[in-house]
Amino acid sequence: MAQGYSVFIGAIIVAAFCAAAWFLAPKGENQTTWRSSLIIAFVACYLMWFITFMAQLNPLIEPRSGTVRAGYEHE
Amino acid sequence: MAPSQTSMFRSADMSMVQLYISNEIGREVVNALGELGLVQFRDLNGEVTAFQRTYTQEIRRLDNVERQLRYFHHQMDKSAIPVRKLDLDVETLAAPSTNEIDELAERSQSLESRVHQLNESYETLKKREVELTEWRWVLREAGGFFDRAHGNVEEIRASTEDDDAPLLQDVEQHNQAPDVERSFSGMNIGFVAGVISRDRIAAFERILWRTLRGNLYMNQSEIPEPLIDPTTNEAVNKNVFVIFAHGKEILAKIRKISESMGAEIYNVDENSDLRRDQIHEVNARLNDVQNVLKNTQQTLEAELTQIAQSLSAWMILVTKEKAAYQTLNLFSFDRQRRTLIAEGWCPSNDLPLIRSTLQDVTNRAGLSVPSIINEIRTNKTPPTYLKTNKFTEAFQTIINAYGTASYQEVNPALPAIVTFPFLFAVMFGDFGHAVIMLCASLAMIYWERPLKKVTFELFAMIYYGRYIALIMAIFSLYTGLIYNDVFSQSFTFFDSAWKWKVPEGWEQGKVLTAELKGDGRYPFGLDWRWHGAENDLLFSNSYKMKMSIILGWAHMTYSLVLSLFNARHFKKPIDIWGNFVPGMIFFQAIFGYLVGCIIYKWSVDWYAIGQQPPGLLNMLIYMFLNPGYIDIPLYKESVQAGVQKFLLGLAFLQVPILLFLKPFYLRYEHNRARAKGYRGIGEPSRVSALDDEDGDGHITGNGRPSMDSEDGEGVAMIAQDHDDDEEGHGEFEFSEVMIHQVIHTIEFCLNCVSHTASYLRLWALSLAHQQLSSVLWTMTLGPTLSMTGVIGVIAIVIGFGGWFFLTCAILIAMEGCSAMLHSLRLQWVEAQSKYAEFAGHMFTPFSFGALLEEDEGLTEFKG
Repeated sequence: MAQGYSVFIGAIIVAAFCAAAWFLAPKGENQTTWRSSLIIAFVACYLMWFITFMAQLNPLIEPRSGTVRAGYEHE
Repeated sequence: MAPSQTSMFRSADMSMVQLYISNEIGREVVNALGELGLVQFRDLNGEVTAFQRTYTQEIRRLDNVERQLRYFHHQMDKSAIPVRKLDLDVETLAAPSTNEIDELAERSQSLESRVHQLNESYETLKKREVELTEWRWVLREAGGFFDRAHGNVEEIRASTEDDDAPLLQDVEQHNQAPDVERSFSGMNIGFVAGVISRDRIAAFERILWRTLRGNLYMNQSEIPEPLIDPTTNEAVNKNVFVIFAHGKEILAKIRKISESMGAEIYNVDENSDLRRDQIHEVNARLNDVQNVLKNTQQTLEAELTQIAQSLSAWMILVTKEKAAYQTLNLFSFDRQRRTLIAEGWCPSNDLPLIRSTLQDVTNRAGLSVPSIINEIRTNKTPPTYLKTNKFTEAFQTIINAYGTASYQEVNPALPAIVTFPFLFAVMFGDFGHAVIMLCASLAMIYWERPLKKVTFELFAMIYYGRYIALIMAIFSLYTGLIYNDVFSQSFTFFDSAWKWKVPEGWEQGKVLTAELKGDGRYPFGLDWRWHGAENDLLFSNSYKMKMSIILGWAHMTYSLVLSLFNARHFKKPIDIWGNFVPGMIFFQAIFGYLVGCIIYKWSVDWYAIGQQPPGLLNMLIYMFLNPGYIDIPLYKESVQAGVQKFLLGLAFLQVPILLFLKPFYLRYEHNRARAKGYRGIGEPSRVSALDDEDGDGHITGNGRPSMDSEDGEGVAMIAQDHDDDEEGHGEFEFSEVMIHQVIHTIEFCLNCVSHTASYLRLWALSLAHQQLSSVLWTMTLGPTLSMTGVIGVIAIVIGFGGWFFLTCAILIAMEGCSAMLHSLRLQWVEAQSKYAEFAGHMFTPFSFGALLEEDEGLTEFKG
């Protein structure tokens, strides 16, 4: 279970990944391509996770369901 | 990003080079450079027509060889001989020497005449065969007529000879001359026998009847088998006819008419013994002809089979050779010094490679005269050269489909490698569908080589984009996990943050409401408790809509920053201060603020602090319509009102800056340069008044003003053509710059709004995808899972089949296609309009590889 501060931990992890991508990208004429693609990919993925997490952090509505079967209501 | 190194970030540095090549090795040099494929030659003979160029003779000769090779191919098609195809990936053909080409030309010349000869004799023989066959039929059928006719000579004579014979004469004559020798010649009756096509027979008969006024006796019968017409190779049904008539003139007339009707007339003997001999003879000759025919056919086929072995290689050699000469035609040829001068663009980084290639060729030829290559300075805009590999190629292609990036501009394909598939995945987010897509793309990559040969167009297109599909599938896996959707079901990897609040006396069927268990939240993606909830859409719509705005904002901000890179690279500080900075402030003051508010609103626990959560949409609307009025405060009301008024003012302040700063700065700079006495190179500077008079007065000495003016026009036109590819250093026109800037400003400000709204397609498409897949589940596979017994088994099998097929066809193929197009639009319009200019022209080097790939005439020869 994750708390609100998880977004900062996530940010640190992603920043580390980005740094790794920057320094570990294979040398040669594709270095720029590697760096740019990996960093954009990490940032994009983090952004999406961050948005999803934040949207559920302080929910304004709660799930309601009429199709819960008896015996599963406490799961 | 060292400037000397080629990277995908910008198009490669280009240099204009001039080559001085000795005439003797011109061909070899071009061949070597063609294999290298790194130089784009300029046409130095723009004013010379194609027919007057130096190497036109050679090209014509090669055209002839190519025609001969195509003739062989046509003959092979006709006799169904397969051509051995050439796999260019496996076999490489060394550039041919001049001797080899000469040999090839000679060889194909002799082969052509030989094949031609064989063909001709084959056709002659075939014709002979048909004739003989027809003759045989005539002999056979005519024999029957004669046998029948002999029985009633008298009748024939009566019908043809005596128009005014008494009615009873027939009877009398029968009695009178019982022993007259029953022969046609004795009666002076001749005949014509032949063959005519069946559909002409009625007309033939009618014409004969009319012209001879009924003075004939005609007999005909059908030939049961159709005969082959050797000229057209079509089967024709024919009839044998025999016409009896008397009098030489009439017979001659009949012959003429038959010939004009296209009938073939054959010689038939009246005597049945002689006829039998004739039949024997005809049969013997027919046999001979058929034997010879077979031999000829075999020889021809053997010859063609041999050619088929090497035809593809020859074809490719000739195509290459022709391209080499066509390139040589672009060079300027100095007859006195016997040197070829070539000009062209090449990547600066590859200059050493080109230099060493030239050196190699010169050394191999053993020439003492070195080939010289030197870089020349020019004010022409170099072509855009974006080097790709097999991974980036498809991404670059989708960018190039929109336009060619300007020289050295930030290449939009670089961020597109991630943003394009990622935005696709936001719309396509379903783990299950992504797995299928991943398998398909991995299969295409694993069997890359064999699948390359597939020519089916639709598949070839998907195959070309296999790496795009791979990245798309990987991101879709991720977004599928975030949305917690797998074939419209959900994963339960972690404990839910919610638990059902079960009231006393609850029973199945009554609505349950969930409550939070505690502080912990679902750590990755969407909580599975939302799945199947009644108000699932209420939550996910709000979430996905906000996500679309935030992702759009991030994408556009990133794109806008790339325009800063462009301005810095082209050393145009005015583009930074006049376009980038005010644009960025305008965008962030409105939409950056909105994004900040969205995230802030999420981070506040509204129920805990006992306040009503504000509607952000209303907040934004009031920010514009009624600055300073706060409907429901998001944070401290007075601060919020102040901040919003400030941001709005700041945004509107940027509009005049955007509008006026750049044009007025440019005008100031231009005037300053003028004041110092600088002039543009292209500007016409009036030296004397006489020049001007010459222009419109046109008083020239030769007294032929009309001719002269035409001449002048012609020259001007050519000059214009020549200038086409050069950069226009037009005069500074303030109004033009101003109009351009006004358009840019209006476009930018309106686009900030419309493009942000445009990103809402991410929400719409992902909602549609998720809903469609859950509808499909409940319509097919879902209900069958609760069935039991034998029926249950059968239902599950059928349900699964339908569900799987529709999943692949609709949800993956169709929905994937639509998501891809939407993502493409976001890339092309929303992102690229922020920074890319697209005013470049593509670098098209002279390259044999590209040439052979693109030549459509060669598809039959490539394996």
